[in-house]
Amino acid sequence: MKITTIARNTFKEAKRDRVLYLLFFFAAICLLFSRFLALLTVGDRVKIIKDVGLASIQLFGMLMAILMGTGLVYKEIDKKTIFTLLAKPIHRIEFLLGKFLGLVLTIFIMTVLMAVIFLLILFLHTFTIEWSILLAILYIFFELCLMTAVALLFSTFTTPILASLYSLGFYLIGHLSWSLEMLIKKVKSGAGRAALQVLYTILPDLENFNFKTEVVHNLPIPTKLLGISFIYGLVYTAFILLLAMLIFRRRDFI
Amino acid sequence: MAGIKTAEEKSSGEKLLGRQRNLLVLFLVVSLLLFSWLKIQSDKVARKKVPGSSIIYLPSGKYLKYATFGYSSLAADIIYLWAIQYYGSYDIPDRFKYLEHIFSIIAELDPKYTDPYEVGALIAVYDAHDPELAYKILDMGLQKNPEMWIFPFQAGHIAQMQKDFERAREYYRKAMEIPGAPPIVKRLYANAAYKTMDYAEAWQMWKEVYETAKEDWVKEIAYNHLYRVKSTVDTEALSQAVKKFKEKYGRWPEDLNSLVRAGLLREVPKDLDGKDYLYDPKTGEVKPARVWWKR
Repeated sequence: MKITTIARNTFKEAKRDRVLYLLFFFAAICLLFSRFLALLTVGDRVKIIKDVGLASIQLFGMLMAILMGTGLVYKEIDKKTIFTLLAKPIHRIEFLLGKFLGLVLTIFIMTVLMAVIFLLILFLHTFTIEWSILLAILYIFFELCLMTAVALLFSTFTTPILASLYSLGFYLIGHLSWSLEMLIKKVKSGAGRAALQVLYTILPDLENFNFKTEVVHNLPIPTKLLGISFIYGLVYTAFILLLAMLIFRRRDFI
Repeated sequence: MAGIKTAEEKSSGEKLLGRQRNLLVLFLVVSLLLFSWLKIQSDKVARKKVPGSSIIYLPSGKYLKYATFGYSSLAADIIYLWAIQYYGSYDIPDRFKYLEHIFSIIAELDPKYTDPYEVGALIAVYDAHDPELAYKILDMGLQKNPEMWIFPFQAGHIAQMQKDFERAREYYRKAMEIPGAPPIVKRLYANAAYKTMDYAEAWQMWKEVYETAKEDWVKEIAYNHLYRVKSTVDTEALSQAVKKFKEKYGRWPEDLNSLVRAGLLREVPKDLDGKDYLYDPKTGEVKPARVWWKR
């Protein structure tokens, strides 16, 4: 109950944030721009619209999650409102979970709005609705949930600027961690290789949520992978939130 | 005394916090193990890929250069590093389809970066079995770096391996004309000239090599090749004369001097060492007294 109240308030607060509307505005521009960009290509125009559209949803969703998530806890501490909140019978864990769920709800609504614009542009071009696109968007949303948790984690112990940089680093690592696998293959077996293997397993693999290529090219997606990716996202998000809770419960605000 | 915690209350509160922390750590470890296991499982699931999808949409280097915001050299390094890994993977059967595209992008981004031309050509020849592509990549390298003799030299070497001696000769000639080219280029050019049966040019080049060589071993090599050129020219002339003799008299000549007596030759030539050529009157075969490279 306390969590839902905090989540509702976080959502209300996010609604008033100008950054959210600014990012949404640019996302809409990019989505519209995909139609004009497609005119420049020779060949499959729909592919360009799909690629640019999905990338825009992911990029601006990620920026929303990071820019808003990193300020969530910091703002409360900076404005001293956290004292009023924690003086009430609210546990710090509940506070964090409420903040997280509130932002996830905001991100969800924004993703839905961006998806509607995207599907509309696609429909006006092809006169068909490709439902498979929604699958790619759904997994983009799972990735954004994880990014929200990451932004929240960094927000518990550092300033928004540093937290944004760390979150961006996490995002880049998450999308490039596959290259470690290539490195592992080149390294001779031993302690170095074992260390790399551990690092590769622990580092986030955000490519697990990337089904854009499959959807754009109508390639089959293994159901098993969809299931594993979903649970992976859920567990990784829980891991990050647990870490945030451990740090936040020891945080001294004075 | 309300509001003031007793020592007992404090201790039970601390215990609760400790239990909570332990529980959180436990969940943390469990989730870490679980997502690591899930990561391993997800890696086991093969995903369909569009062949060459990672590169076919990469725009040409000319346009990409503007998008790198002044980091074109760094972009070239990254694409080159990636290309080496990409072409080293045997999982992508049609990976060579875009070889020219990739290496032309690197060339546009950093034209003075010479390694990619050489490595690209090697991949084209040895992996893609496409020497024409190798020539294209090396020509691109030479066009952007006219002072680099290594590109025509490597192209000449590839052509020589393909037994395309006309092309090899042309590339070696280009390499030879670039200042700084090592002396071996001239020797390879002379050899290619011999292979294309331009004996006059081969003789001239080997003679130059012989006369300008500072090391004895180079002089020896040049002398051996001069021996070969002369003996090839002489044995060809002698063999033709022998053939004509057979046509005229219906038999092989008894010795090579018979050719002079019959008016088919002015004199019987000797090899570079001043020795007579060997003649077999039973078969009409003429050959040099020594094997040129065994001298």
